[in-house]
Amino acid sequence: MVASHYDAVVVGAGGDGPVAAWKLAEAGRSVLLVEAGPFYGNERWPKPNESPGAESSSSVDDLSGALLDEQFTTRELEMIRKLVFGPADHERGFWLRKFPGDGAILQCAGVGGTTLHYTGCHPRAYPASVDEQPHWPIDYADLIPYYQEVEAMCEVTPAPVTAKEELFFRGAAAAGWDLLDGLNVTEPGYRPQPNAIRQPDPRLHVDAGYGGDFSYPDVEGDTLALGSIAGHPFPRGAPYEEKAKRASNISFVPAALRTGTVTVRPNAFVTAIETDSAGIDHPTATGVRFRDTWSGRVETVRSEVVVLAAGAIETPRLWLNADLPRNEWVGRGMTIHFGDNVMGLWDAADLESRIGQDTIDQFQGQDIAARFDYPGLGMLQTVGTAPGIGAILGFGSSASGFAFQNDPADAPWDTVGRLAGAELKRLLSGYRRMLQVLVVSDDRPHRRNGVTVAPGIEDEHGPIPLVNYEPSAGDRQRRDRLAEIAAEILREAGATHVHRSDSPPTALHVHSTMAMGKVVDEACEAFDVDRLFVADHSALANGVGGANPTNTGQALAARTAERILERYF
Amino acid sequence: MGQHVRLWLSELWEWVEALLAGKSTPDESELDFHVAVTARAVVDAVVPETPELGDELGAVAVPGGLAIGMETFLVTFVDGLFQFGFPHVGTRGNLPLAVPMAEVLDVAADALVARGDNESEPDVERAVALFDAGDTSPRRVRRNAGAFATLSRRDRLRALGLLDEFELRVSPFGHGLFEFDAGLVGQLVVGFAEMIYYSEWDGYDDFSLPPSERTHPNDPAAVQGWRQTGYPGVADGYAALRGYVGADDSPLGAGETWTTLDERVDVVRESGTFRENEYDTTGYEEPYPE
Ligand SMILES: Cc1cc2nc3c(=O)[nH]c(=O)nc-3n(C[C@H](O)[C@H](O)[C@H](O)COP(=O)(O)OP(=O)(O)OC[C@H]3O[C@@H](n4cnc5c(N)ncnc54)[C@H](O)[C@@H]3O)c2cc1C
Repeated sequence: MVASHYDAVVVGAGGDGPVAAWKLAEAGRSVLLVEAGPFYGNERWPKPNESPGAESSSSVDDLSGALLDEQFTTRELEMIRKLVFGPADHERGFWLRKFPGDGAILQCAGVGGTTLHYTGCHPRAYPASVDEQPHWPIDYADLIPYYQEVEAMCEVTPAPVTAKEELFFRGAAAAGWDLLDGLNVTEPGYRPQPNAIRQPDPRLHVDAGYGGDFSYPDVEGDTLALGSIAGHPFPRGAPYEEKAKRASNISFVPAALRTGTVTVRPNAFVTAIETDSAGIDHPTATGVRFRDTWSGRVETVRSEVVVLAAGAIETPRLWLNADLPRNEWVGRGMTIHFGDNVMGLWDAADLESRIGQDTIDQFQGQDIAARFDYPGLGMLQTVGTAPGIGAILGFGSSASGFAFQNDPADAPWDTVGRLAGAELKRLLSGYRRMLQVLVVSDDRPHRRNGVTVAPGIEDEHGPIPLVNYEPSAGDRQRRDRLAEIAAEILREAGATHVHRSDSPPTALHVHSTMAMGKVVDEACEAFDVDRLFVADHSALANGVGGANPTNTGQALAARTAERILERYF
Repeated sequence: MGQHVRLWLSELWEWVEALLAGKSTPDESELDFHVAVTARAVVDAVVPETPELGDELGAVAVPGGLAIGMETFLVTFVDGLFQFGFPHVGTRGNLPLAVPMAEVLDVAADALVARGDNESEPDVERAVALFDAGDTSPRRVRRNAGAFATLSRRDRLRALGLLDEFELRVSPFGHGLFEFDAGLVGQLVVGFAEMIYYSEWDGYDDFSLPPSERTHPNDPAAVQGWRQTGYPGVADGYAALRGYVGADDSPLGAGETWTTLDERVDVVRESGTFRENEYDTTGYEEPYPE
C-alpha cells in the first residue's frame, strides 16, 4: 500500500497532472500521483497489460526506454487498443462514455494520459481568446512565464519540413497567406508547428545520403517516422528520457520522480473525493478513495490538498459522483474544438512538379508539423496518419451521410460525407498521394454542452459520463469558414480532388468543463470546496481560441501549483 | 403460425442434412449465426469485393474484407470493445454488443424499407450470396438473415445513415439497462470496421494472444489493406528531412536555401526559433459573433 498521508494527491497522470506534481515536489512537498491506467516503460510493470505488476513507482531509475520500445510497437490498431481510456488488462474493453451520434471522445489512460496519443503540437493560446473573449478572469500576460517554463521543459522548437509540409506551405503561400514566426499569434497565417518533439538528426536530410540505422545512438532526436498517435518510442534504442516526443511521461514525469518526493500509483481509479464535512455548504477536501483496476481493492489516502487532473470528462464526473456541493457549471461549458477533415488528392505529375517526387508519403515526417492559424476562427493542421487511423478520422463518419448521397454542387469540395464501399477503396488506393487537413475550430463554451451523470447508468467506478455536445450557429460558421480555407489551400497546392468529411462532433481536445471563473477561482481552487484544485484542461475558461490546448493546460497547471504552495504550504 | 412451423421444419431439415453428411449438428447458437450473417453483410457493404476496380487499379484492389475473414474479427472486437467493470462476471466484464448491434441494424433496415427509401427490393438471396457455396446451408442463412442482410450494399449503407435516430438498449448481465444513441453502432460498423481493415490487423498470427506474445511480420505481403493503399508498414525512421521554414526578416530558419516557397519564404538548412513577439489584441473583431 502507498502511504496513508501526503501533502498533495494529484488525480490523473495525464498531460497536466504531472506538471502540478513536479512543481509541488520541486518545492519539497510529498505528492501521490494516482493514475487510472498503466505505467508504460517502467521496469516495475514489465508486462503492464498482462499482469498487475508492482504497486507504485517512486524512482526515475525504474524508467526504461527498452520497455517502451517493446510496448509501443506503433502498429496502429494494437496501440489504439492499448492506449485508449480503459483498464490496463488487455482482455478488458474501454471504459464507457455516452456521446451523441457517431462521434467519439478520444482520450488515453496511462501515465502520460492523452499525451501518449498527442502529436506534440505545443502552440500557445491565441492572445485574443484570453484577452478579448469574455471567458477568462486572468490575462494572457499572466500565462507567458508559465508558457516559457513549459516550452523549455518540453523542448518546443519549429517542426521540420518534409514533403507534406512543403506541399501545404506552398498552397498556403499561393493562397496569399503570410508566414507567421511569433509565439503570440494575433493575425492569420501559416507556420511550422511549435512541436514538443526533438528535431531530427541533420544527417536525415534527403541530400545527405543516410544509409544507416534509425536507432539510438546512431541517430538522436526525431527519426521522421509516423508514430505519435501510436505512442512514438523513437528513436528506438534510446534511453527513456531521450525519446524525441516530449509527452508528459517523457518530460514531466521523470522530472517529478527525480525530486524524490513523488510516488506514482498507476492502475488506480479514483472514485471519491473525501471531505471533512460531507453535505455541508462549504466542505474541505481531505483526500481521495481509489480502486485498484486489477484487484478491485479500495484504498483511501489523506492529503492537505487534492488536485484533480483526470481530464475534462473524468474530473467533472468525479465531482458529480462525489458528495460535493452542486454548482451549475460543474461539467458544463465543454469545448471540443468542433472539428472536421478536408482531404486533398493529387495526380502524380502535379506532385512531381511541386515537390519533386510523385508521392506525398504522409507516413514520413512528423505526424503534424505544419499549421495555419486564424485567431477568432481556429486553426488548420496537416495530419499524416497510417491508413487505418486515417480512415476512421477522415472518412468513417459524417454528419451528412454517405458521399454517394450528396451532391456538393458548387461547394469548394468535390465530394462530401462518409465514405464506404468502392468509393472508399478507390480513394484509399491513392493513400500515398493524399494529404488530410484537420479543421480545428474555436468553439465557444455553452452551458448545454458537457458532462452529466445519471444514477443507474454506472460501471464499477460509479455513474458513467453522459456527454452532450451541440455546436452553436457561430461554432458552425467558424468551422465552415476554416474548411473553405483548407480547400483553397489544397487546391492552390495542386490537389485535383478535395473531399470534406463534415465530421460529427468528435473530441480529440476536450476542455472548459470546470472553468476558471465558473467552478474554480483564479488559483484554480474550487469556489465551493476548500483545498480542492483543478489542474487539467477542464480548468481552461474556453478552448484557447482553437489552438492545440496542451501548452496552455500545462502552463496553467504550473501556475496552479504555485498558487497551491502560496495558499497552503 | 406459419412462420413458427417453417422455422421448426427447417431446423429439423438441417439436423437431418447434418446427420446425412456425417457432421455433428452445428454447435453455434442461432443467435450467433444471425450476428455472423449480419457481420458479413456489414463487411460486404463497407469494404466490399470490388471487381469493378480491377481494370482501373489492378487485381490487388479487388478483394474485400470477407476475403480475409474480417467479419469474425469484427464480432470479437465489438464484443470486447467496452468493459462493464466487473472482472468476476463473464468474459472479463466486457459488454457483449454484437447481438444488440445486429438487432439495431435490422431495425434500421426495416425503417429504411418502411419509408420507401430503399433503392432495391430486399432479397434474402443477397444474404445467401454472402457465403461461399459449401460454407453453410443456404436454408440456414435464409432462416437467420435479418432485414439488414437482405438489402443491397448501397441500401445497407443508407440504413446505417438512419442509426442516429434510434436508441440502442443493452442489458448486460441483468444489471440494469444501458441506452445508447445507436450512432455508436454506426461508429462500430463503419468507422471501426474501416480502421480494422486498413490497419495491421490482417497480419497478426493471432490478435487474441496477449500483446507481448503476438507476432506481426510488418510486411504488406501479409496485410491486404496495406497492399491496397501502398502503405509500407511501420518504420523506425526515414531520411526525409528537407529543412526548416525560413525568411529573410525572420529568426525561424537559417543557412543555405534548399528550395523557395515564394518570393519571401524558403526552406532552409537550419532551424531557428520562434519570436517572443509583442502582441496587441485591441483591434480584434469577432468574425462570427455569438
Ligand atoms: C490523437 C490525438 C492527438 C492530439 N494531439 C495534440 C497535440 O498535438 N497538441 C495538443 O496540445 N493536444 C493534443 N491532443 C490533446 C491532448 O492530448 C489533451 O488535450 C491533453 O492530454 C489533455 O490533458 P489533461 O491533463 O487535461 O487530460 P489527459 O491527458 O487525458 O489526462 C487525464 C489522466 O487522468 C487519468 N484519469 C482519468 N480519470 C481518473 C480517475 N478517476 N482516477 C485516476 N486517474 C484518472 C486518465 O487515465 C489520464 O491519464 C491530442 C489528442 C488526441 C486524442
